[in-house]
Amino acid sequence: MVVKIRLARFGRTNQPFYNIVVAHARTARNSRPLEVIGTYDPIPKRDTYDESGKLHKDIKLDVTRAQYWVGVGAQPTDTVWRLLSMVGILQPKYPKQQPDGAPVKK
Amino acid sequence: MPPRIGSSSSLPKKLLNCLDTTLPSSVPSSVPLRRPVTAALTASQQCLFSTSAPREATKPQRLFREWLKTSGKKFQHHDGNGPLYIGRLTDEGEENRTMPFPSNPAYVSEPVLSDAARETIWECVMVNKMPLKAVSAQFSVDIRRIAAVLRMKEIEKRMEAANMQMAIPYANTVEKMLPRVNLTKNERPFEPINDIHVHSYTMQQLFVPVSESREFTRSDAAKAFGGHILPPDSKMRIPELITLEKDIAKGVEPRVAERKFIAATAKHEAEFARRLKIESIKEEQNKIRVNSSRNVEFRFEKVNVDDVGRDGRARSGVGWRYGVPFNDRRRGAVKIPTSVE
Repeated sequence: MVVKIRLARFGRTNQPFYNIVVAHARTARNSRPLEVIGTYDPIPKRDTYDESGKLHKDIKLDVTRAQYWVGVGAQPTDTVWRLLSMVGILQPKYPKQQPDGAPVKK
Repeated sequence: MPPRIGSSSSLPKKLLNCLDTTLPSSVPSSVPLRRPVTAALTASQQCLFSTSAPREATKPQRLFREWLKTSGKKFQHHDGNGPLYIGRLTDEGEENRTMPFPSNPAYVSEPVLSDAARETIWECVMVNKMPLKAVSAQFSVDIRRIAAVLRMKEIEKRMEAANMQMAIPYANTVEKMLPRVNLTKNERPFEPINDIHVHSYTMQQLFVPVSESREFTRSDAAKAFGGHILPPDSKMRIPELITLEKDIAKGVEPRVAERKFIAATAKHEAEFARRLKIESIKEEQNKIRVNSSRNVEFRFEKVNVDDVGRDGRARSGVGWRYGVPFNDRRRGAVKIPTSVE
């Protein structure tokens, strides 16, 4: 059976909060996973004493475990892929395109 | 509903007067044409809009009006100098002026720090760079109150600098109505600063055999009560005061001892600041910051999955826990935040 790295929604109504989990693909979303490797709070927040108004999102992640699960063939969902590509575990799935179709160089 | 004309109204009398003038002289004026008016009303009792007579004042109302004219006269207007409470007579017959409500002796109005006092505290810390503990000990103000005063004063100064509108007349008026303390030298201590929590384990009687040659200190006593009981010296907020008192008892000059005390508190504060800085640096090293295209920063904090423990239920583990009730909405649980970030 396929092992996936995906999000499990917790939190409350209008207050989403996700566990980043490694689970078998056909199990229910919030069932007990193989492993919880992190959390993802999708609501942008401000720093308490920062008046610039800059927003941030808090994510917790066990990077080595994520690398391991990717290495043994676990398949991240698109959202998790995006998060893992930010810390350099994976190449971005949908790299930014310039108007002429060439990928953006960093 | 329009006002009704009662039996004691003045209207029939007026009508009678009108009749009187037009009546022929043959009718004897002594014979009443209508019912006689029972009582003439005084000018003060008459209302312009109503013809009904006012209710007679009750006894408490009458007494209250009498009191307002005599001993209660001073309470009619606030003179802007301290609280103006009715107070209550103490057992010695003196009037206790800290009780706003005479029937509730449990409610005592405690003094507050005046604006001048708060300004003094702010200057001591921010201008003269005194350690918080030393300021707390000098003015006998709790160290947490000192910290709160500093935070509020900083906000006030920032608002002043930004030319924001502030409710200063309101603040002044409220301050004038309360008992306040200016933190000058001749005043009583504002509040106890070194109170400690008394653990219930230490309230029992305990017999510990100790040899005469051995010095039995407070930390030994704490150990005797149980391994987890702290001695008072490490429980109090400003333990440096103990050294200060000991030095003075030993015969060190008070000024020298005080200087030593200030140096000790400053050292403690510097150490605390250093520890905080190291903690924040460690926290920052454990983070990866990534800027996204949507102008939102993603902060990845590195965690360890093994923190959930063998049964996967440890509280320190990452994420929401499985198979454990989450009591954030339980009745009776305190949901008010207990810390300031």
